[in-house]
Amino acid sequence: MKDVVIELKNFNSRYGKQEVLQNISLTFPHQTITAIIGPSGCGKTTLLRSINRSAELESGYSCTGDILLSGASMFNMNAYSVRRQVGMVFQTPVALPLSIRQNVLFAPRYYGLRQRALQDDLVENCLRKVALWEEVKDRLHKPASQLSGGQKQRLAIARVLAVKPRVLLLDEPCSSLDPASTERVEETIRGLAAELCIVIVTHNLAQARRLANETAFMLNGQLIETGPTENIFSSPKHEKTRDFVTGLFG
Amino acid sequence: MMKPRHLLDRLFILSLWIAALIVITILAAIILYLFSKGSSFISLDFILDRPQGSPLGSAGGVMPAIMGTIWLVLLALLAAGFPALFTAIYLNEYGSQRKSSRIMNILLQSMASVPSIITGLFIYALCVVRLGWGISLLAGSMALALMIFPVLVVSIREALRSVDSQTRLAAAALGVSKTYSLRRIILPQAIPGILAAFLLAMGYAAGATAPIMVTAAAIVAPAPQSLFQPVMALPYHLYILFNEHVSMQQAYATALVLLILLLSINALALYLRSWQERKQAG
Ligand SMILES: Nc1ncnc2c1ncn2[C@@H]1O[C@H](COP(=O)(O)OP(=O)(O)OP(=O)(O)O)[C@@H](O)[C@H]1O
Ligand SMILES: [Mg+2]
Repeated sequence: MKDVVIELKNFNSRYGKQEVLQNISLTFPHQTITAIIGPSGCGKTTLLRSINRSAELESGYSCTGDILLSGASMFNMNAYSVRRQVGMVFQTPVALPLSIRQNVLFAPRYYGLRQRALQDDLVENCLRKVALWEEVKDRLHKPASQLSGGQKQRLAIARVLAVKPRVLLLDEPCSSLDPASTERVEETIRGLAAELCIVIVTHNLAQARRLANETAFMLNGQLIETGPTENIFSSPKHEKTRDFVTGLFG
Repeated sequence: MMKPRHLLDRLFILSLWIAALIVITILAAIILYLFSKGSSFISLDFILDRPQGSPLGSAGGVMPAIMGTIWLVLLALLAAGFPALFTAIYLNEYGSQRKSSRIMNILLQSMASVPSIITGLFIYALCVVRLGWGISLLAGSMALALMIFPVLVVSIREALRSVDSQTRLAAAALGVSKTYSLRRIILPQAIPGILAAFLLAMGYAAGATAPIMVTAAAIVAPAPQSLFQPVMALPYHLYILFNEHVSMQQAYATALVLLILLLSINALALYLRSWQERKQAG
């Protein structure tokens, strides 16, 4: 059994009066890709943003229960340090309005990386991990806004990797990408699983099946079923899960 | 036969067009009218000379008034610019949910609805009389600063707000501080919009007459040399030329100078705004 990196314990969260997540208990192990599936509006994004503690930036957000990061409650830690250790990539590919190089260095520079040689190494290293290096190495100083959607999404992953997180949360990272870009991003994610705990929210059930070791199915803010991906898809225990994975609703 | 819905659509769009056309026609008429009346009296001499003749202003030019207006506006911007920038940043970036910012919003709205003559009279009582500055450039620019402050805050906030929220979130989710994102991402994106806000406020101040009438303006004065002396200003000069029947020709020419000044400031502001939009799109 691999080390548990993130553990949610009876976690609830709400926006104002609306309960979004109810009593979620779930673990995400190291070097494992966990997919979170469920119909639109069931709280998947809120779950990821809670784990990254960026949901707290929204007005009206509140939560109860606990989330452990490597065994310690993340609510006893500094929120900034949690966000740094638990990187998150959003649905819409975002290139910060900086050069490609400065996109990767955005957070490391904040954390004090000044030396030019170390910066160069980090940029190359992170861009290689997301298989973007060959495509952009000659235009590192060009605005990142010139990249394609798929390239921007890989750059977004590189930007998160640059601060050496322990966890990578991906919120529908391929939903706005074409099949070829999707494949490249999936390759990247698969490669990163060797060193990280990865959680991916996806609407694409085939993608969950291709990528994930574990799958969790959510419905209306509750966790319905979780287990090895194959079990969830071929022999789900719960009726709702079966209906969802066979496409009866979605 | 068109479907009634489409017909309604067309009628609606047509009425929008007509409304816009009416406004544009009026605006164009004002500009053309001033050009036709004033342009023949405008010359380099008119711009560079000081008022001459008897009654004073019936001949000569408007240089001291141009300089006076420029100084009034620049000092007003200097006084209101930074506080407005900080207020807008606070309201939009740090305190958007706090009670303090809700109170601040109400204050700003009240401030914006104070008639500018009252702002002028307040500064008259406070600065001109109480602090003993006298009718002066400094007092006038304070009155203008007070007048443009709420406008500046609102338009700077608009510039900040138009920075993409996904971009903000992507930066914040990396665990960097708000101030760092502000410095590296948000402000650079908003700069053209902020400059445009400054320019629009300058245009607003340059055209205002009421606040300076009781605090700074003189019927005749040299180009400003000291903060504590009265100055001439274009809108006030225009008011005198017209109201005292000094010279209609000079009045038209002065109006045209003021209009050209304001139009160029506004044109520059619009250009900067579109620059920000393009910057964010690209
Ligand atoms: N910032 C917010 N303020 C208020 N309510 C919110 C906010 N964000 C999400 N919600 C609400 O929380 C619920 C869950 O939203 P969430 O975005 O987590 O769903 P999701 O599972 O990610 O959906 P999708 O698959 O469409 O992305 C929704 O009912 C939504 O209206
Ligand atoms: Mg979502």
